[in-house]
Amino acid sequence: MSNHVITIQDLGKRYTIGRQRTNGDGMRHLIEGALRDPLGRLRSGGRRKLQQVDIWALKDVCFHIDQGEVVGIIGSNGAGKSTLLKILSRITAPTKGRICINGRIASLLEAGTGFHQELTGRENIFLNGAILGMSRAEIIRKFDEIVEFSGVEEFIDTPVKRYSSGMYVRLGFAVAAHLEPEILIVDEVLAVGDAAFQKKCLGKIGNFAQSGRTVLFVSHNMEAIRTLCQRAVWLKNGRLHKDGRVDDVVGEYFNG
Amino acid sequence: MELVIEAGQTERQYWRDLWRYRELFYFLAWRDLLVRYKQTLVGVSWALIRPLLTMIVLTIVFGKLGKMPSGGIPYPLLVFCGLLPWSFFSNALSESGNSVVANANLISKVYFPRLVIVISSVITSFVDFLISGAFLLILMAWYRYLPPVAVLSLPFFVLMALSAAFGVGLWIAALMVEYRDVRFVVPFIVQFGLYISPVGFQSGVVPPRFRLLYALNPMVGIIDGFRWSLLGARSGMYWPGLVVGFISVSALVASGIWYFRKTERTFADVI
Repeated sequence: MSNHVITIQDLGKRYTIGRQRTNGDGMRHLIEGALRDPLGRLRSGGRRKLQQVDIWALKDVCFHIDQGEVVGIIGSNGAGKSTLLKILSRITAPTKGRICINGRIASLLEAGTGFHQELTGRENIFLNGAILGMSRAEIIRKFDEIVEFSGVEEFIDTPVKRYSSGMYVRLGFAVAAHLEPEILIVDEVLAVGDAAFQKKCLGKIGNFAQSGRTVLFVSHNMEAIRTLCQRAVWLKNGRLHKDGRVDDVVGEYFNG
Repeated sequence: MELVIEAGQTERQYWRDLWRYRELFYFLAWRDLLVRYKQTLVGVSWALIRPLLTMIVLTIVFGKLGKMPSGGIPYPLLVFCGLLPWSFFSNALSESGNSVVANANLISKVYFPRLVIVISSVITSFVDFLISGAFLLILMAWYRYLPPVAVLSLPFFVLMALSAAFGVGLWIAALMVEYRDVRFVVPFIVQFGLYISPVGFQSGVVPPRFRLLYALNPMVGIIDGFRWSLLGARSGMYWPGLVVGFISVSALVASGIWYFRKTERTFADVI
């Protein structure tokens, strides 16, 4: 129990979608609706113009992760993987359940979060670093390493809007790669970028894992999952379908 | 250090997080200012040109044409003194109201207390305020006008202006996430407010029996305060009005924080 870095109990996340709004999305419509039909809400059944459909992106998810584990999270599109990561990163709140986290989390859900097109690479490194939770002193200290890792040294003082998409992603990942959290959460960021870059990223994540830190890795790249992770969690339709050794789970995923 | 995320419970460490992410205030404000002045022709001068032109227009309209009483103070100075806090308030309002939606890409990808976004946009407007403030000093020197001892109370009024902008900004920012058409209310408040608030004229012009009601507009107390502490208006400061204004501002800030915190957890889902 004391070794659990992340404990997830009965986690559920519900989204309301498919709302057939009669006209639009503004406050004006809210007021209009209230004036036209003030008792509409009190009336049961009857003509319901608004149809709300609830979907559970995650339901009854329970598992825990120990210190130093490298866990791959797999599943088809829409299975709830990104939602799980978002909840763990506190970007969105759960509808049900409880999570206990022991340790500082850094989430990499997108490369170059917060990058502003008009700012130079140098300025964006500071901005991105600060947004991800690094202090100014830390960024200054690691600045040269970050630039070297990204490989965009020549263009570091050009506005980022001039970068190619590859350079952009490399810079974004370079900043995130130099975070030093106890728990790292990575979401399919490696889907973009060339083979060399992907190899670099995996290498960095591997180093991270080897230093005894905990990693949660979401990817569709089964090769990467097999290489990096010892354990895999398979989410299917928002529920935990299988949780076990990576070879077993990935094997079943391919066959299933 | 254990963190618990539980459905239906607001996080206890929110205010601690606000302190932990304090450097973000600086970074986001820095980013906004930097972006504003890149690729511009006139650069920093925009912070001066706008209030200067408004001052000229208001002086002509209210002072020369309307012939409003100025109590012996040069009219441009009177107007600028009211314009300074007003510009700050209206800029801060527009910027902070829009701030959350403008940073949608951050809201959906990274965690930090969202209050940071609103606060940093108020800080950005505050920097403009300081630049215009420097211009006011030049203007005062031009008219050889020395501020009275009461100028020591100026920081209090500045703080009040900051709070008013913050309070209203929070409401607009939070409302705008769910109802996008709230953005059309803001220019209206700004336009309407410019003529309703004592920017182009002195609040003494308002009939005495309405003065207390008039003071519900928080900018009345703030602008009066600015004028009193910087120019020493001979009519003095209308203290009951200031108290009402202070209560207004406090209510705005408290309710703003309450509403913002209440809706914050759904930002990432709705934005």
